[in-house]
Amino acid sequence: MTGTLRVILIVALLFYFIIVFFLLKKRRLALKYSLLWLFMGITMTMLVVFPRLLEIFCRLFGIADTMNGLFTFAIGFILMLLMALTSIVSKQSDRIKELVQESALMEKRVRDLEKEIQK
Amino acid sequence: MKVLAIIPAYNEEKSILGVIQKLNSDCAEIDYLVVNDCSRDNTLYVLENASVKYVSLPLNLGIGGGIQAGYKFALRNDYDIAVQIDGDGQHDTSFLRTVTKPIESGEADIVIGSRFIDKQGFQSSGMRRIGIRFLSLLIQVCCGIKVHDVTSGFRAVNRKFIEEYAKEYPIDYPEPEAIVKASVQGARILEVPVIMKERENGTSSISAWKSVYYMIKVSLAIILCRLSNSRKEH
Repeated sequence: MTGTLRVILIVALLFYFIIVFFLLKKRRLALKYSLLWLFMGITMTMLVVFPRLLEIFCRLFGIADTMNGLFTFAIGFILMLLMALTSIVSKQSDRIKELVQESALMEKRVRDLEKEIQK
Repeated sequence: MKVLAIIPAYNEEKSILGVIQKLNSDCAEIDYLVVNDCSRDNTLYVLENASVKYVSLPLNLGIGGGIQAGYKFALRNDYDIAVQIDGDGQHDTSFLRTVTKPIESGEADIVIGSRFIDKQGFQSSGMRRIGIRFLSLLIQVCCGIKVHDVTSGFRAVNRKFIEEYAKEYPIDYPEPEAIVKASVQGARILEVPVIMKERENGTSSISAWKSVYYMIKVSLAIILCRLSNSRKEH
């Protein structure tokens, strides 16, 4: 990793954190879902600020170029994030299903009661 | 025993009233509930005008979600038996007693009306029969029970499985998976011969190009359901 690249990456990470915190502050991002984003950012920062860590990782896994090591991390995080999103979506759709069923059953009760009152 | 017929309906404006009339004349003593799964045609209007008993889902959930709403209704209104009947007129309600009888006598927990036992009436197309046979075999391997007509939506369940299905029911293409789920929970499942008709109106929920997706999804669901539940012996 060249010096120029490290500077660019650090600036990019800074923007990344600003965006995450801005969204958190505006409550457009729930804290429980932001933890993975923050963890991602912190790990990437560590790797850029202390390139030794990245070099050790690359040697352990037999990756020739440190940049590829960084990509490996980035792709790994993206996959984790997508998995988390899919899991959240699945849970949400289950909850929506429950709500839809409840509201339909409730609507029937209301309708039946209205009919009874009108009699 | 209080019996509820659950009739899921999605775009069945032409056939739904016929199904209910037939049901009323065949077995006047049983209650029914139509579940309108947010139909895009005039099903809701037809139901409302004919003062049919129905619930209407505000969003389309697919057949599984609709059926489960019916089971929730059955649970809360203390029904002893729930029978599923398709809203398209495929299922002949003169067989309804045949399907509920083994449950009333306590012989079975779940009874499935099967077209493949006596091989009478509409037998479905060749390709579909192959698919059904495959799923049937898969269920036999996974659960050790032989059910011939695994996709049949003409089935009755007792109180215990009204409770189970109200809690959890498979979402799309639920029929084979519901059998596996019940089986791993120790249900006694029985098949009885019925005669089915070809649908009068509307189209099947499973179109040709979807059938590959259907087979993969259902097979996976069966295997997954089997793996994630250790079998309870009854």
